[in-house]
Amino acid sequence: MAVHSLTIKKIISRVRQAFPNAPENYIMNLVNEAIVELGKYATKIEYAKATTVADQQWYTLSDANAGVEINKVFRVDFMDSSGTYVKIPRLVNNEIPTMDID
Amino acid sequence: MASTYKYPEDYISWFIKGNHLAIVTLKGNDSTSTHSKYGQYKPIDEAVTNGILIHYQAEPNAVSAITDTPDVDNVFHTCLIDYVKARLYQDKAGSSADAGISGVSMNLAAMHEGKWNEAVKRNGMQKRDKTGGDRRVAMPDFT
Repeated sequence: MAVHSLTIKKIISRVRQAFPNAPENYIMNLVNEAIVELGKYATKIEYAKATTVADQQWYTLSDANAGVEINKVFRVDFMDSSGTYVKIPRLVNNEIPTMDID
Repeated sequence: MASTYKYPEDYISWFIKGNHLAIVTLKGNDSTSTHSKYGQYKPIDEAVTNGILIHYQAEPNAVSAITDTPDVDNVFHTCLIDYVKARLYQDKAGSSADAGISGVSMNLAAMHEGKWNEAVKRNGMQKRDKTGGDRRVAMPDFT
């Protein structure tokens, strides 16, 4: 646990020093807005695994697919024949001649 | 299924288009076929269970109860108060019929907005890998 952190309750009590009647839900919504803005920075690094499908090129990066909310992918590994994940290169020029819509 | 790639880094690449991750391979077994031969990018040819490991910057979780702690580094917690106060002062300025109260509220909103922006830029831009210090010491050459 962090040395010092604020819960929403503490944030609300500090805000209510200046705005005694500010609604709790409204403050929470504003905190969530601020958190979305903070998400633009690399504040939370995570990893996830996904299963490949033969002859499928595209994999969706969304909540529905893998249960993750991704802002920016910075590294991808692929499992080799011994079960070890090995970093694979990013294709910068991604205008490849063939295209799959799956 | 397990992977049959001994050196996946020599064949497989990835790229992003919008909200989609593409996994492509150079491997091909038909040297005469059109657009599926060795050396041409095409969709990954294997079904591998948990075959891809993706490292990413994640979206912080939203708060939903007053007992929650914001899902961001604790250096950002105090500046969340500034963000909330800036919005509340803006609301007060917009809803007040008194020009004096509106003016003071707008000034306070601008002050808290500035503190929020400064804190986000200062703490958000820095490297957060918990390591620091010199990477290499360069000694001067006196000869």
